[in-house]
Amino acid sequence: TLPQCNEAFLKTLESVSHTILSLQQKNSKIPVLQNKKGHRMVGLATIASYLVKEAKIEEILGSTVEEKAIVQQWLEYRTSHIDRVSCWEDIRNILKDLNHYLEDKVYFVENMITLADILIYYGLHPVIAGLSFQEKETFVNVSRWFCHIQNYPSIQQHFPVVVFIKNRIYSTSH
Amino acid sequence: MSLFVSEGNPHGIKVLAAANIWAENVKTQWLQQHEKIVPFMSQPRLPALQLDNGNYLFLSNAICRYFFMSAGNDLCDLINQWLEWESVELQPALSAALYAHVVQGKKKEDTIVAIHELLSYLDHCLAEKSTPYLVNDKLSVADIVVWGSVYPLIVDHSSLPDKFSSLKYWFKNISQLEQCQKVVTLLLKNQGSSIFKTHLQKQPAPTIPSGKPVCS
Repeated sequence: TLPQCNEAFLKTLESVSHTILSLQQKNSKIPVLQNKKGHRMVGLATIASYLVKEAKIEEILGSTVEEKAIVQQWLEYRTSHIDRVSCWEDIRNILKDLNHYLEDKVYFVENMITLADILIYYGLHPVIAGLSFQEKETFVNVSRWFCHIQNYPSIQQHFPVVVFIKNRIYSTSH
Repeated sequence: MSLFVSEGNPHGIKVLAAANIWAENVKTQWLQQHEKIVPFMSQPRLPALQLDNGNYLFLSNAICRYFFMSAGNDLCDLINQWLEWESVELQPALSAALYAHVVQGKKKEDTIVAIHELLSYLDHCLAEKSTPYLVNDKLSVADIVVWGSVYPLIVDHSSLPDKFSSLKYWFKNISQLEQCQKVVTLLLKNQGSSIFKTHLQKQPAPTIPSGKPVCS
């Protein structure tokens, strides 16, 4: 069985996600963290990758060289693209590309949850929460992926649940 | 594994240099700037790397990371931090500076002044080290990504202000690597920054994160 299904993994994931989210909310621009050795670390993707390694759940950084590079690419996409949107047009273009990318996928990288899903979920939350039902339908693959990730209680933290379609089980289960 | 690049694209420098150093067997294919190769991206994205498993890398730093790791190297926290700094802070400011110089005809010295703070940070970090590399005591993907990012604007180390002596030394050192020289000859064709003009003209004018143009 996947280590990602066991309770210990989910508990660790919850504590790492909590730290990432609080760093992201505390530092409005670029997060900074003092690590155990007293070194200052700068940048959301860098700090998040460090926390994952410290918590010994490296599998969410990918296992092969290909997976690792793809995970890091999506972390960079989060900080250099999603975080830089300045208008609705930028958001629309990003959602359009992500919707295309996620067409045949459950997660961003391979068939498992990775740090890429977590950071993109946190980054897109305000955007997705602001979409109309119709827009959520337009970006149906992004919505499906988002809904799936927010069903991990250890990742969702205290973020409000985004409702997708009225009268579906997942929209009222929290 | 195929690497797709286009002529006159400033991002080609770092990926081709990283390929030369860490992944010599990669097949390079030259495309037109407008050609779409990454199936899920609505806009053309070059450089791009198609992996053997069919996946695509469409961000230059991810491509460089991949080449570096595939040669058996690990990514430490400090390398991650340099690559993130390059993509979040340096690259947006640098693209704006390069655009101002090459497309809008601003003087190179003036555009360098606009990215002064970032270069000063780089110089400061290098000055604190006893080796001319950004991470530990050997060449890493951090050096190639940052060098490849500033190269299109700086081109020659003498363009850098004299007070940035550590940066100058580092820049000259990386530029002299045989693998980097090959890329520069191939891409710049002795024309300096102006080789990027045709490519940049077709791009929207870049803005730095604050939204202000780099030179007013």
